[in-house]
Amino acid sequence: MPREIIQEASSLQAPRGRYLKERLIRGIFFACAFFAIIITAYTIIIFAMGSAPFFESVSPFEFIFTIRWSPLIEPFSYGALPLIGGTLLTTGIALLVALPLGLLGAVYLSEYASPNVRRALKPIMELLAGIPSVVFGYFALLYVTPLLRNIFPDIQFWNALSAGLVLGIAILPLVSSLSEDIIYAVPRSVREASYALGATRFETVRRVVLPAAFSGITAAFILGMSRAIGETMIVAIAAGMTPVWPPEPLRPVMTLTAYIVNVATGDAEAGAFIWSTIFAVGALLFMMTLILNTISYFIVQRFREQYE
Amino acid sequence: MSAPATQPSEQAFRRRLRWRHGKSKLFASLTITATLVGLATLAALLVNVFTNARLLIAMNATAEAGFAFSLRSLERGHDLFPYIRISQVTEGSSAEQLGVRSGDALIRMGFHAVAKISDAWATVEQIPEGPTPIGWVAGAERLLGDLRAEIDPETSRVTAVLLDYLTPGSAAERAGLQVNDILRKADDFPIQGTRQAWEAIVIAAQQKPTPSSVILEIQRGEQILHIALEAEQQAQIPLNRSFWHTLWFFITEYESPRFAELSGLRSAILGSFYVIGLMALFSVPLGVGAAIYLEEYARRTWLTGLIQVLISNLAGVPSVIYGIIGLEIFARAFALERGVLAGALTMALLILPVVIIASREALRAIPDSIRQAAYAVGATRWQVVRHHVLPYAAPGIFTGVVLSLSRAIGEAAPLILLGAFQYVAFDPKGLKDPFTVLPIQIFTWVGMPQEGRANIAAAAILVLLVILLLMNALAIFLRIKFQKRW
Repeated sequence: MPREIIQEASSLQAPRGRYLKERLIRGIFFACAFFAIIITAYTIIIFAMGSAPFFESVSPFEFIFTIRWSPLIEPFSYGALPLIGGTLLTTGIALLVALPLGLLGAVYLSEYASPNVRRALKPIMELLAGIPSVVFGYFALLYVTPLLRNIFPDIQFWNALSAGLVLGIAILPLVSSLSEDIIYAVPRSVREASYALGATRFETVRRVVLPAAFSGITAAFILGMSRAIGETMIVAIAAGMTPVWPPEPLRPVMTLTAYIVNVATGDAEAGAFIWSTIFAVGALLFMMTLILNTISYFIVQRFREQYE
Repeated sequence: MSAPATQPSEQAFRRRLRWRHGKSKLFASLTITATLVGLATLAALLVNVFTNARLLIAMNATAEAGFAFSLRSLERGHDLFPYIRISQVTEGSSAEQLGVRSGDALIRMGFHAVAKISDAWATVEQIPEGPTPIGWVAGAERLLGDLRAEIDPETSRVTAVLLDYLTPGSAAERAGLQVNDILRKADDFPIQGTRQAWEAIVIAAQQKPTPSSVILEIQRGEQILHIALEAEQQAQIPLNRSFWHTLWFFITEYESPRFAELSGLRSAILGSFYVIGLMALFSVPLGVGAAIYLEEYARRTWLTGLIQVLISNLAGVPSVIYGIIGLEIFARAFALERGVLAGALTMALLILPVVIIASREALRAIPDSIRQAAYAVGATRWQVVRHHVLPYAAPGIFTGVVLSLSRAIGEAAPLILLGAFQYVAFDPKGLKDPFTVLPIQIFTWVGMPQEGRANIAAAAILVLLVILLLMNALAIFLRIKFQKRW
């Protein structure tokens, strides 16, 4: 009797090949994931190695805190402050557009819009988030700048203002879509409790909903900011290629990303010192966005646990 | 007896209530306004792209008739007088049959004098189709002959412009000019140089509201003569505006570095499809595989937590950074040069985190009960994944993949570093061939100051947006087709 059972059990066991196959498949998937990680690590190594020659001859302090950037014309000078300033100026203008519009839009969509309107606008917003940035660059240079000339007659053909404004429009769908998700996720009961106390809609939004969603909205804004800093084509097309300090809204500026494009579209020889400046500028950009993204990521992670 | 100070009167209370509600309403309208402003800006963008792109049809009509224009101008003091030079005439075209040659100047389109190329195209856009009267001035040699300048050796300034040779059968001969006549003025435009002499005649003819002769002031010996020169030639040329013809021309022609109206998107479209196709071959299997490992196989440890942080951070790295990395790894270290393959691999790097995140989300949406049920009947992990999880997750994964591909199509920055910023007038075949892609072609055109470049940039944007829209539609279609409910 027991013997029969044992026999039965062994026939139930799957053929050995099956486990081998399982392991093999697992191995393949692991390789995929591993490869993805390796690439990341490699990226950081490449930056470290690529910018080493640069920082051997230029101190990081000089790189970040001096105000003359002239890597192509003698006398050479490698103070990236004009590039950082240009980036911060366009990003700042972009945030001045994207923050109020994005937040108010998100509040409208989640608090005021009827379900039908919301259903219609959400996919439109996602579609808009997918508009390539060259399109916005075109828009800034050939539509917004001529329009701004009516208001500021001495605005230049390339200028930080129009690039920044359009940059704000470009990150608007991202900012408002993310904030909307977060505002919408605030439980209904919280709102109803507020209404029950006699609060108006505005008071509910301002004192109850927005504070509850605050961390998530902050995360969305930081993400939008990081996107604006790293955005390349809009500023390369519309903001110009002039590293100046201090940067002014109505004049051309040069951002970190625009500098990289500028060198890449020029005739600089590969291996020349100019390429290591790209690495240095790229590393700076990488650090700025990495810090912002990580902050945003951890805010979102913390926020997630609140209602679940 | 008065009410206690702490208790507001009913009137005050109502006023306060009204104020609060007013504020609430104001805020509501503010939110709507913000949304509308956002939408209106984007509508303005689309309208602008459409209106600019529409001129392409007129541009194509003149190109079909055989013309390629460039803008020149005559300088007089501080004033600039622009005119349209016909820089190229297609062989066998109706323009050539009419006797228009390259080097002539176009001065009238329909019945309007035109000074700028965009004016000419705008006119073509407005007048009815079919035979259109045009007016042009033949090139200097065919209108006059050869000119010679006499130069004061001391000041090296031109003192006189003489007719050195008179072309037989030219308008000048018919008007009665003779060799060695000194040209002094064309209408009010003083003639101060050999090239300028012809330009002055062109501008003088162009300034006439209706086709008529230009009065030349010449000096023959000691005499000053005024001679009427019939500079303008007129004929009717068929101009046909066809949307489909324009579209076909635009997407099948190579770029023309000299003429906007002869430029097409062929190499850009091919380059985009090559790069994105190759990119999909690398990034989709790798990305979906990694997502399956992370979601279905990996245990939740600090390592997978770290990987999660890494991947979501990678998705936020500015795309131009990937260009630098791709340049260093693929173009240099792997010696792929700045070609199609290096571009595709770089884009694969860029899109990999996006594919992983989208696929993971699709996998995570599958309820655990389905996995547990499969395990309960003895399925191995691979069988669970293969037969249960993947079929359910497929629509989500497809959608994510298609959307990330459409993001890659619009991405320009990394490829600029990989050499896609260049003039390509052939179809890329090999993996190391140079290439260009749609968004970079747009970037190039936007940066060109010539007339018409903004219009073809707008048209290229439309092509790009239509491709993106089709891909989004495909994503929606896949989602609906493969959607399963549980």
